[in-house]
Amino acid sequence: MKTIEKAKLDSLFAQLAQNYSLLVPVDYNGLTQFAPYSQVQEGVSQLYLDGNVTVSPKTAYLPQSEAMYKFRAQGKKLAIEEMAGLDKQQVLFGVRHCDTKAIQCLDKVFLDEKFEDPQYKNKREQNIVFSLACNNPKATCFCESMGLDRAHAEASVADVQVYDFGDSFGFEAISDKGKACLDKLTGLGETASKLPDQKPQTLKFDVAGLPEKLKDMFEDPIWDEYSFKCLNCGTCSYICPTCHCFDINNKIRGEVGVKLRTWDSCMFNEYTLMAGGHQPRAGKKERVRNRFLHKLQYFNEKHDMSLCVGCGRCVAKCPVNVDITKFIRQVIG
Amino acid sequence: MKTASASDVKRINNLVPKIGVVKEILDETPDVKTFRISTPEGERPFTPMPGQLGMYSLPAVGEAMFSVTNYGDDYIDMSIKKYNDGVLTSVLHAMEEGQEVGIRGPYGNGFPIDQFKGKDIVFVAGGIGLAPVRSLILYCMRNREDFGKLTIIYGGRSKDDLCFKEDLFENWPKVPNTEVHVTIDRPQEGWDGHVGFVPDFVKEIAPNAQIAAVCGPPILIKLTLPILSQMGLPDEDIITTLELRMKCGIGKCGRCNIGSCYVCLDGPVFSQAQLNNMPKEY
Repeated sequence: MKTIEKAKLDSLFAQLAQNYSLLVPVDYNGLTQFAPYSQVQEGVSQLYLDGNVTVSPKTAYLPQSEAMYKFRAQGKKLAIEEMAGLDKQQVLFGVRHCDTKAIQCLDKVFLDEKFEDPQYKNKREQNIVFSLACNNPKATCFCESMGLDRAHAEASVADVQVYDFGDSFGFEAISDKGKACLDKLTGLGETASKLPDQKPQTLKFDVAGLPEKLKDMFEDPIWDEYSFKCLNCGTCSYICPTCHCFDINNKIRGEVGVKLRTWDSCMFNEYTLMAGGHQPRAGKKERVRNRFLHKLQYFNEKHDMSLCVGCGRCVAKCPVNVDITKFIRQVIG
Repeated sequence: MKTASASDVKRINNLVPKIGVVKEILDETPDVKTFRISTPEGERPFTPMPGQLGMYSLPAVGEAMFSVTNYGDDYIDMSIKKYNDGVLTSVLHAMEEGQEVGIRGPYGNGFPIDQFKGKDIVFVAGGIGLAPVRSLILYCMRNREDFGKLTIIYGGRSKDDLCFKEDLFENWPKVPNTEVHVTIDRPQEGWDGHVGFVPDFVKEIAPNAQIAAVCGPPILIKLTLPILSQMGLPDEDIITTLELRMKCGIGKCGRCNIGSCYVCLDGPVFSQAQLNNMPKEY
């Protein structure tokens, strides 16, 4: 395994930044997220490797706001021009395993055979993911319960596996893309060290049979209980690494405009409200139910995998403590 | 403006519309217009199957999904009802011929044509709900020998609100082995046809059909489906179309789900048998 001392991390980043665009996890005024390494160099943000970031790296695949095409509407005339994709490879350093699993979920949606999404695919091809195994899970982490491997990142997404050995990081290539990237780096040490110890997750439960159980619970009173305090604020969907619903909007100046896709949330009234006034999910009960069932039942039915990866962000950040893990444990009983 | 790179050319971004030109605008009713759309080269923008959908947009205003009610060699027709609260439909209705618009599709599953073949069919529609059903009716008439008796039952709020009047009163009654029954909700001067709501009219006519296609306002669908069941049609052969808010049309933006189905992808056409197994959230 190749290694680098943490004291020399800057030199590693400098090398990566020479060949690639480089995104690293940062703390920007208290908000942790992935940002260009230049922010760290300029002192705008501080490198943050103590835990997972609040805003998931889905931003590097499905940005919060992304231009889809430009248009010019001039009288009866209309011209449309598509956007160019990323032309340079981009390294994401320190993506946690849960977030690599989340990208595998997004693949099911955006790389489906019939309507493959070229903007997503472009980023999928250009991104090189260095995935860091977590030694110290938070109290809200439950990825193991959702079937994740804490020693190995999702191999279809991660290109380099990173381990934290305390004073140093160790690197193992997963993909050819990852190997090519590692091969370019100089000044790395070599060690055959055993994998670091990982502290056990404290939030553990069994999810066997969950989708099947939920199938018969659409009218269950449990939805009143779990939606009662929900504010429909949408925080859960914005920070969720697998929530991918988007709206399509315009930014217009005179005759020219840009068509944008922007994150949306099933917590919002306008999400399903129709022009004629019909509203199939009228209240918070229907919306919380839809979100939970999409994560834990509907996605399983369509893609044979859960849309919850156990990152624990919504558990940690919900302003009124709506807790999907408490819900799962109550359903499983 | 930049040009797409070679690798981009091969990739089709389904969310980016093609340019369409509104060749003709036909007034159907005071609040329904039919827009005939070609490409700038004078070609058909795409070839839909009956019941399939198209995304129609004025990029500076908005984009929405509509059924493609008919198509010819070099055009598709979309019939659109204006809603006063609907920003896009209001602007579409104010448009003039020659306007360039965004168009993409076809989307959705469409009607299961093979399932209709060889059967006597009843078509039940109300208001603008005739638009999707009409695409199937026209298909059956163009391939007349593949289908049994066609019974069309249609209603509107008033005689002025009836869509596709030329088809209803001139063209369709002339098609062999075809019956057309039209009703309006309330009595009206100058109307000597049937008066009453569509579901009751279906009961009254009691068509001897083996399969049904139903589309209209939610209340019409809700009241008509049980009547068709009572007439002995199996749930698999009671076919309807659903409509929910859509943005992408290709199963990615999320909002049109009913359980694990997306109306834009797995619908808009569903059988009663399928609906029985879906959450009642539409």
